[in-house]
Amino acid sequence: MISCTINGKKRSFDVSPTMRLREMLLLNGNYAVRDSDDAEGFCGSDTVLLDGTPVFANLVLAGEVEGCEIRTPDSLGDSLHLSIVQQALIDAGVVQSAYNAPAAALLMTWLFENNPNPSREDVKDILSGIFIRDASYEHYYLAAELIKEKLAGGEYRTEIAPEFRPHLKAIGKNMPKVDAPQLVSGEKAFVEDYVVPETNYMVVLRSPYAQAYVNKIDTSEAEKVPGVLKIITAFNCPDVTYMSAGQGNPEPSPHDRKLLNRKVRHVGDRVAAIVAETLEAAIRARDLIEVEYEPLDAVFTVEEAMAEGAPRVHNGYVQYNSGAPADLDEYNKKLSGDEREGKVVYQFPLHGDILHNVAAANHGGIGDVDAAFKESDAIVEATYQTSQIQHTPLETHICFARMENGRLIVHASTQVPYHVRRIIGWITGLPENKIRVIKTRVGGGYGSKQDILVEDLTAYAAFITGKPVLYHNTREEEFIANSTRHPMRVHVKMGGKKDGSINAIYMKVDANTGPYGNHALTVPMNSCSKTLPLFKCDNMKYDLTIYYTNIPPAGAYQGYGTPKGTYGLMMAMCELAEKLGVDYKEMVLKNHVEEGYMLNILKGLGEGREGNVVPVGSCGLREAVEKGCEMIEWGKRVESDDPDWKIGKGFAMIMQGSGLPGLDQSNAICKLETDGTVIVTSGAADIGTGLDTIIAKSTSDILCMPMERITVLSGDTDSGAFDTGSYASSGTFFSGNAAINALTNMKNKILAEAAYQLGEEEDDLELRWPGEVHSTKTGAVLTYYDISHTATSGTGHGQLITPGSYTTMASSVPYGAHFAQVAVNIKTGEVKVQKFSAVQDAGTPINPEAALCQMYGAALKSIGHTLYEDMKLDKDGRCVNANMTDYGVPMISEQPDDFKAVLIDVDDYHGPFGAKSISEIACNGAAPAIGNAIHDACGVWMRSWPMSPEKILKELGKIK
Amino acid sequence: MYDIKALYEAESLDHAVRLLQEHPSAQILAGGSDVLVQVREGRRAGVELVSIYMLDELRGVSIDEEENIRIGSLTSFSHITNDPIIQKYINVLGEAVDMVGGPQIRAIGTIGGNTCNGVTSADSASTLMAWDAVMEVTGPEGVRRVPIKDWYIKAKVVDLRPAEIQTAILIPKESYEGCFGHYIKYSMRNALDIATTGCSVNVRLSEDKKTFDRVRIGYGVAAPVPVRAYTAEEFIQGKEITDENIKEFAETVLKDINPRDSWRAGRALRRHISVVMAERALRESISLAGGVVNG
Repeated sequence: MISCTINGKKRSFDVSPTMRLREMLLLNGNYAVRDSDDAEGFCGSDTVLLDGTPVFANLVLAGEVEGCEIRTPDSLGDSLHLSIVQQALIDAGVVQSAYNAPAAALLMTWLFENNPNPSREDVKDILSGIFIRDASYEHYYLAAELIKEKLAGGEYRTEIAPEFRPHLKAIGKNMPKVDAPQLVSGEKAFVEDYVVPETNYMVVLRSPYAQAYVNKIDTSEAEKVPGVLKIITAFNCPDVTYMSAGQGNPEPSPHDRKLLNRKVRHVGDRVAAIVAETLEAAIRARDLIEVEYEPLDAVFTVEEAMAEGAPRVHNGYVQYNSGAPADLDEYNKKLSGDEREGKVVYQFPLHGDILHNVAAANHGGIGDVDAAFKESDAIVEATYQTSQIQHTPLETHICFARMENGRLIVHASTQVPYHVRRIIGWITGLPENKIRVIKTRVGGGYGSKQDILVEDLTAYAAFITGKPVLYHNTREEEFIANSTRHPMRVHVKMGGKKDGSINAIYMKVDANTGPYGNHALTVPMNSCSKTLPLFKCDNMKYDLTIYYTNIPPAGAYQGYGTPKGTYGLMMAMCELAEKLGVDYKEMVLKNHVEEGYMLNILKGLGEGREGNVVPVGSCGLREAVEKGCEMIEWGKRVESDDPDWKIGKGFAMIMQGSGLPGLDQSNAICKLETDGTVIVTSGAADIGTGLDTIIAKSTSDILCMPMERITVLSGDTDSGAFDTGSYASSGTFFSGNAAINALTNMKNKILAEAAYQLGEEEDDLELRWPGEVHSTKTGAVLTYYDISHTATSGTGHGQLITPGSYTTMASSVPYGAHFAQVAVNIKTGEVKVQKFSAVQDAGTPINPEAALCQMYGAALKSIGHTLYEDMKLDKDGRCVNANMTDYGVPMISEQPDDFKAVLIDVDDYHGPFGAKSISEIACNGAAPAIGNAIHDACGVWMRSWPMSPEKILKELGKIK
Repeated sequence: MYDIKALYEAESLDHAVRLLQEHPSAQILAGGSDVLVQVREGRRAGVELVSIYMLDELRGVSIDEEENIRIGSLTSFSHITNDPIIQKYINVLGEAVDMVGGPQIRAIGTIGGNTCNGVTSADSASTLMAWDAVMEVTGPEGVRRVPIKDWYIKAKVVDLRPAEIQTAILIPKESYEGCFGHYIKYSMRNALDIATTGCSVNVRLSEDKKTFDRVRIGYGVAAPVPVRAYTAEEFIQGKEITDENIKEFAETVLKDINPRDSWRAGRALRRHISVVMAERALRESISLAGGVVNG
């Protein structure tokens, strides 16, 4: 028996002293003490106070807390009774995906209890033990100021974020994100919080080989383990070939895998899934499975994949659901056709050639590049290599599935609930009305939860056993068997004239998609389609080839392919400016597009179809460049006192999209409740970014009513209507516009109903704060309560319900520029990002404080990609650093001291209230900005990620 | 649930030794930051643990009757950093363990755990090496002392015999008196990262502060175990404080270190950095000691 005090209450537990403290706290209901890193002692999500000292609850044994006092994050306040610290974190905008927000709130509380006036260094020190991926740490410093001001008995004095659109009450104002109270206080929110106690557990046996046939699986001993319910293998799983990308149907990704395959294609690939009553039994059974592998040679790089006679990653046969080439039968004869290989099915041609490990390809351009290069006064040509990077969401992939009355209920941490439902339907054979996907709050997505990576297997396991099943990736699995940024080799040739104009650009992109082709075409395509349209250049050409290899799988990652293309192009442009003797800034200003410029380059850059050629719409690019150059004092040299440290500056233009015109589709349903409050049900998938809040704010401003009387429900496929999901920066633009359409319909319906009830003309009526209809003619007033009450009485017209749908060919592109000042130590190769300014045009920022935090978060993440993060594989394809400590994410100490995010005020023509996307674009600028700054500092061009000290010293000739 | 066979709670030092005798394969659990991470990784599955967490007599920093600085093995990193004795005499040790990063680890990580795991990258190791620390070990035969140069046997193995517990780390007066030191952790990131290479230098200057009376330099990750660069130390002893001597000292460290290639960094980088760090740490130490180069 272990006795201790938890949050002021004496508790006793009849548990083994070897239980982890965190597990004991879970038994007590303190589920906000979370585990992000399998007890590695890195992420800090398991932070508790033990006798007044912060510790990792996973690294303390229950036996050691006898007689101790423990405080957990959920003791600070609940969603209706928030503490000053919790409220300040919400107000500062840092409660985003928020898996770690309760732990951060506890640390900040502890800090202020011990020191009511902490310095910036104190805040930095206390947060050095917590990993924040979504919002960076910048607004935690701001929150600390807000807390100080509040504790001093006053109101906030520090500005949180600039506000926009003074004529609107909610849009463009700093207001608490609607899900923030629940998240910061550590109330039930995530998939793990909804698991029933009687759940079963699933674990996966994974391949030790980078490429091998699975010839035999003996599960006889494993099945004898008490509590084992089911073992799923390639020999008993459904014969359904699909893919994991959450994209519009038909997908521009080859269908090239089954639930489990007779051929494993990377270290960590699924071999068997074991479902058992306890996790321990499942693991014991997994250890008893005997697999007979037939190892095969593997390829890991695009160079190896394209080599003559290279081992083939897919060597079965190819099918097309449309547009099959005439010689397909001949082609298939050249492949092995071995049944263990499975097949590759293209929904439509993606120019793949699996015979040569090519998953997809695309070629195109405008003008005549070869002729133009002959006219160039200077040409630069170089190859830029990006590395394999993991999203590292705080909440690793998790799924809980169960059967209920013959229906399959799937609790998912996903960006794409409707795509999850469709793909689970394919695998189980269930129609969509028999499947319910419930997106809970999502503890970090960044693109990795755009793929259906764990839901397929978990849902199938629940379906065939008829029992609840929980699956949760370990952190190692999150690295090796999940999704990553495609490593790419971007070759750029750029030509310019003496006046600084760019007259020709050629990009050759060779991308490594790993063993499966999810997002194979579209990620690399973005390295051209979201970069080349920045340039007013008449001669541009691209060749894209995407290779299958045996590295851990690649997929969608915030920024998609854009960061890699931007890296190559902006560094090449900087080099070209130098060669031409033109100032880089002047060259940028001379060549960037502006409103009205026709983007012919887009014709060939659709997602596997003809692209949508449109002129540039609203564009704050020039203002962003000018503003950022001013902030960083472009052109002014900075010297360090220490001769070993050289200082330089760089920047890069960036763009993205706001969803996929002609492909994305969103819907919403608005309902006036009987008391005049409003519930909007959206198909959207808010993954912590504030999409529900955008819809609530839109409701407030369109229906002239306060936020407290509005509820937004989203992400539940039963109650909502179809939405393609949160990816491609579509949330605000598509889901937001669908909601606006539903709300506009509601506004009209309220006016019509009020006109009927009042016996007046609609034209004489208006909506008025705080939720009523006013007659400008008679002065009569009907509150929404009056209207709805009458409508839902037995003699009324019935409840007011309105749908809204959004489809468009319009394209609203966010623009911006990111700026870096770095110091490079020429003796040690160390790089410090001293200043970083993210300047962006997001149209109307609907949630300004959240927008800034997302810019900071994406910028810090991409600083990490540029300087530290790198999945390292050994010669056999095993990842040697598949844990948080070794992998190398940036934390508070890596954040630039001078870190700024600035929103350029631009009103867009198509976006909801003039809004464009904000977050994804902010991943695109850091690498070229830092790369160019390093060159400015010490003269070397860093042409591969990460720009490590070792590589810098090699470039400087200090080591070999 | 961790895969731990049993947890025995020691009530006294004698009890802890007895428990270790009764359970010869048991592992000592101090703060838990290291051992529990290893258990989690499956490296110590089914392990028995003897927890010495409750032995408060192993906590704290004091000056003993021999005028040694005595650091109890269970003293946490944060305690060491904030301790006035450490700050006065060997501040560099407090700075070194502070670089582990994260208040949670600094609160539970102990100096004993950091030196008993035998890991060459441990943040305290190169500094203790450079200050000629002495390990006090208590076991069935009583107490014995092991100079740190003999402590590290090979990677991850230290001179702890069956049923022995490291109870304190001593810094002899001769080792700290008049000495000033600086530690450089060269790592890719600042917090919660493992040192690519660590270098700790300390100096004792002559009374006129013109010559080196003694210089010691310890490295982590320059060899499988923490090492000293004795050849460089011997070279510079008694020499004048000049740029030339400092540079030659730094170059000479290469005679004593033997870093490896690893996925974290290549041997060439580690060798290059070791020289750069030696020079930087020496210059900083001179400055702390009130010396002036070419003065």
